[in-house]
Amino acid sequence: MNSVYSSWSSIFIAHIKRDILTNSRSLIDLISIVGFMILIIILFPLGLGPIQEKLNIVSNAVIWVGLILAIMPSLEKLLQKDFENGWLDQIATSPIPLEIIMLSKGISYWLIMLIPLIITSPIFAIFLDMDLKNIPWLVISISSGSLAISLIGLSGSALILGARRGNILLPILIIPLMTPILIFGVGVNEAIKINASPYGNLFLLLALTLVYLVISPFISALLVRIAIGR
Amino acid sequence: MFDLLANPNRFKKITNKLEPSLLVISLLFIIFGLYFSLFDSPKDYQQGDAVRIMYVHVPSAWLASFLYLSLAISSIFYLVWKHPLADLISSSIAPIGALFSILTLITGSLWGKPMWGTWWVWDARLTSMLILFFFYLGFILLHNAFERKVDGSKSASVLAIIGIINLPIIKFSVDWWHTLHQPASILKFDGPSIDNQMLLPLTLMIIGFGLFSLYLIIVNVKTKLIEKKCEALILKLNLKELL
Repeated sequence: MNSVYSSWSSIFIAHIKRDILTNSRSLIDLISIVGFMILIIILFPLGLGPIQEKLNIVSNAVIWVGLILAIMPSLEKLLQKDFENGWLDQIATSPIPLEIIMLSKGISYWLIMLIPLIITSPIFAIFLDMDLKNIPWLVISISSGSLAISLIGLSGSALILGARRGNILLPILIIPLMTPILIFGVGVNEAIKINASPYGNLFLLLALTLVYLVISPFISALLVRIAIGR
Repeated sequence: MFDLLANPNRFKKITNKLEPSLLVISLLFIIFGLYFSLFDSPKDYQQGDAVRIMYVHVPSAWLASFLYLSLAISSIFYLVWKHPLADLISSSIAPIGALFSILTLITGSLWGKPMWGTWWVWDARLTSMLILFFFYLGFILLHNAFERKVDGSKSASVLAIIGIINLPIIKFSVDWWHTLHQPASILKFDGPSIDNQMLLPLTLMIIGFGLFSLYLIIVNVKTKLIEKKCEALILKLNLKELL
């Protein structure tokens, strides 16, 4: 039994390595996701007017909303390529549990696409005139919430496998599911702003992330099996 | 119950008998309910006549959530037992549920303007109801997004089941977060805190709306059954020509 688990974990790590390698060959996806994020951030000061106080109020929410919007275009391709070239069919017929592959997909997507956004988020925060004491909490809240966001995105991209105009459909399907993450994620920093304890919101955020960490691989694997059965 | 209705022909036979009486009974309930709610129920001591919006607002809100529950249950039936009729039922429920959730939001905002002084607040109850509408919308869009209909049915059913987590949020949002929307006054542990004179028309309207949406669902399912039959006939004819 022990050997089965150790082989599963080695498969898990091998797939994360594979995804990182295949994605690092071309950095266009990464550059476009960070570029898109920066452009969303730029749009807000242009729309609100460059008044520092206004930006300070919305900065926290803008970064979270920008994060959710910025990953939408890349989510569509998360499983699409592997689905079209038959890799997912191969994996599904092999004895490896598809759930583990899906979990590795979710984690590797988080490592590839969201870690860069987390690293650059303090810069966006300074752009938007966020208080310096809030920036560490922003990074903490984003890094715990973004894993849940990428796992929801994984389920969403499994949901639209093989659909017509899936790229338009995807945001409508998954943004409603991301609203709790946004609420608690923003709540962490709003608590800091009024000198309250951020831990309530942070723990709820972490709890949600853990729930999605458990549920999402199973839902995604179910949806991929449905898609392959077509 | 499910086994009894699972056969499309038996479903048709039963619903054919049920359909006209269902329409008449539901219309009677709605007419009496409307009469009582518009003419023969007391004004609210604070809200005056505007309280009468409640008799449309509350039934549609209840039905929007209840229909989502039925949508999710029939989606589970479809995914587990793979019965095509369950999918027809859930795809018939979705547009009606979407309509009721929109009706809830519209009547709510019409009620909110004179009472709260604003058309819309980002209250937890309102927001979760809006998200319920988006789940209905997502179900309908996903259901129609595939070349083969079966694919859409399966994916949309999974989405419907995921969306069920929104229902307890709607129900308890007014107890968890105290905002403008009033807390529950009918389904409470210590009995309803609403006067009987108001409870009567409200009950009539809820039953009327419920029966009427059941009628609409049955009509929808029957239309879809006929559609399927037409498709099968066309396929058969094409096959004959080919042979």
